[in-house]
Amino acid sequence: MKKKLLDIKNLKVNIEDQEILKGIDLEINPGEIHVIMGPNGGGKSTLAYTLMGHPRYEVTEGQILFDGEEIKDLSPDKRAKKGVFLSFQYPEEIPGVTVEEFLRTSKTAVSGEQQKLIPFKKLLKSKMEELEMKDEYASRYLNLGFSGGEKKKNEILQMSILEPKLSILDETDSGLDVDAIRIVAEDVNRLQNGNRSVLVITHYNKLLDYLKPDFVHILLDGKIVKSGGLELAEEIDKYGYEGIKAKFSRN
Amino acid sequence: MKWNRIGLESLTFPEPKKYTKEYLSNLEITNINLDEINELSTTKLEDFMPKEAKGLGKDFTSYVEEYYNSGISLHVPRNMKVEKPIILDFLMDDENPMVIDRNILVLEPNSEITVVINYKTKTQGHCFHNGLTKVYAKENSLVNIIKIQNLNDKSHNFDSNLAIIEGEGNINWVSIELGGNITGSNFTTILNGDASQGNLSSIYLGDGDRKLDLGYSMIHKGRKSNSNIETKGVLMDDSKKVFRGNLIFKKGARTSKGVEGEYVILLDPAVKSDSIPGLFCEEDDVSGEHAASAGQIDKDKLFYLMSRGLSEREAKKLIIQAAFRPVVDKIPSEELRNSINTEIERRIINE
Ligand SMILES: Nc1ncnc2c1ncn2[C@@H]1O[C@H](COP(=O)(O)OP(=O)(O)OP(=O)(O)O)[C@@H](O)[C@H]1O
Ligand SMILES: [Mg+2]
Repeated sequence: MKKKLLDIKNLKVNIEDQEILKGIDLEINPGEIHVIMGPNGGGKSTLAYTLMGHPRYEVTEGQILFDGEEIKDLSPDKRAKKGVFLSFQYPEEIPGVTVEEFLRTSKTAVSGEQQKLIPFKKLLKSKMEELEMKDEYASRYLNLGFSGGEKKKNEILQMSILEPKLSILDETDSGLDVDAIRIVAEDVNRLQNGNRSVLVITHYNKLLDYLKPDFVHILLDGKIVKSGGLELAEEIDKYGYEGIKAKFSRN
Repeated sequence: MKWNRIGLESLTFPEPKKYTKEYLSNLEITNINLDEINELSTTKLEDFMPKEAKGLGKDFTSYVEEYYNSGISLHVPRNMKVEKPIILDFLMDDENPMVIDRNILVLEPNSEITVVINYKTKTQGHCFHNGLTKVYAKENSLVNIIKIQNLNDKSHNFDSNLAIIEGEGNINWVSIELGGNITGSNFTTILNGDASQGNLSSIYLGDGDRKLDLGYSMIHKGRKSNSNIETKGVLMDDSKKVFRGNLIFKKGARTSKGVEGEYVILLDPAVKSDSIPGLFCEEDDVSGEHAASAGQIDKDKLFYLMSRGLSEREAKKLIIQAAFRPVVDKIPSEELRNSINTEIERRIINE
């Protein structure tokens, strides 16, 4: 039996006393790609933020085991050090801190190893080339004035530098042009080949053309109502969530 | 004497003492004539400093005029551009616990100079600083004055800075307030000539029970004169701060423009932060703008940084250093910039 990387059981989450996640079960093994789809407001970002440890999200029940260890009471930085990464749906702008400085600080914190200036510059340059990002982004302030797509690419740059065990991509493909989606997918595949796991939240099948997801889950009104393979994504494309909902009520 | 704005019941000036240490280390690198300097030290600047330039008030400034124990007088001749900054380093200790510095700078037309004054303590005992800096910048001259204050937590720090700027002259003040128990700091710039320009950039860090009273005034008299005040601060623990920023447009200051902004990050609920912007116009055709904001560090920004492995304190430090950076970067010495950044880091990380 493979050792599970992430093991979520009966996870219930409140925002300001309102229950948003109503009992989620999800297991992810090393090297697996999971996809979560679902209608707006279903709770996908809530799950992503909760896994990363945003203080606004209160876990009222259930467990989040990561590498066999309960992480639900850990602060976000501790989770990052264990290997959790979230690519934000809406990345924050941080004026006054350049992409390069920030990533060096971040890599130092996550890896626990001081990142030397010159080797880090090289690493950053090669990763940026992979993502077809211009050099000049390294010296720009973090996300400040970046276009929607540039912000998303910057999230993926951070992911590939930090090499997390679990990357959660919250609608990273929204706002990316078709070429950028392919480039991002290549990066995700590289991580997967390194036996790292990815949880992809998306509304579109475009990204899935390039990935080979092991599982697709439908998150609807705070619950995973169906799990399956890639065919599930096609079904959603055909019938929409309303159609799938209708199917459930018939069964 | 009472110091109401920061709730100080009484304040008495100590018996003046000597400051015998060397504080001017690099004058020889400049090509300024020492004779000129000495000649000026006897000049009374009241002759050309108008009445409205009060600094912290008569009690403070006349104490300096009477008892000053240090300071420089520089007379920069016409067309002379002094390339290297003049650096004054005051390091108070138990034998020299007082700096009462009087500095006079006169810039003849077309001249340029940069002066950095660094006030520090090397003792845990009470130290006292009361200073007065007067600048007369004539036509088309440029003067940069950078003041860095990091006295220990028991010390008192008072500083009055006055400048009068003639046509197309420029002054750039930079003020870094990191230490002291009580700080009263005043910068008054009189933009006397047409198209004269005054800029003031300052940062402060309030922690422990530090109290700061910052008063900045830009007095526009010449036409098309320009001023800009930008202040950024952090308050934590039980610190208090009063900020008073005045843009004053006198009759005749037509088409002049003044901008002031004060931004403060409040890290703890017990801090007290007052901001009193003032706009006084005797002339219609002028423009004065002020902006202010006071608040905590955005929770979502913190979460974003923490999700990349930074602890809460590291994340806060990063945001604060980023806010301070444009001001710190104006200091023309890497050594000083680094020591300021290290100090900020120390205070915020090992609070
Ligand atoms: N800060 C908040 N305060 C109150 N309600 C919130 C907050 N954040 C999210 N919610 C609610 O929680 C529910 C789930 O939101 P969530 O952002 O997780 O949806 P989502 O599945 O990511 O949607 P989308 O596809 O639009 O990104 C929504 O009804 C939303 O209004
Ligand atoms: Mg969402």
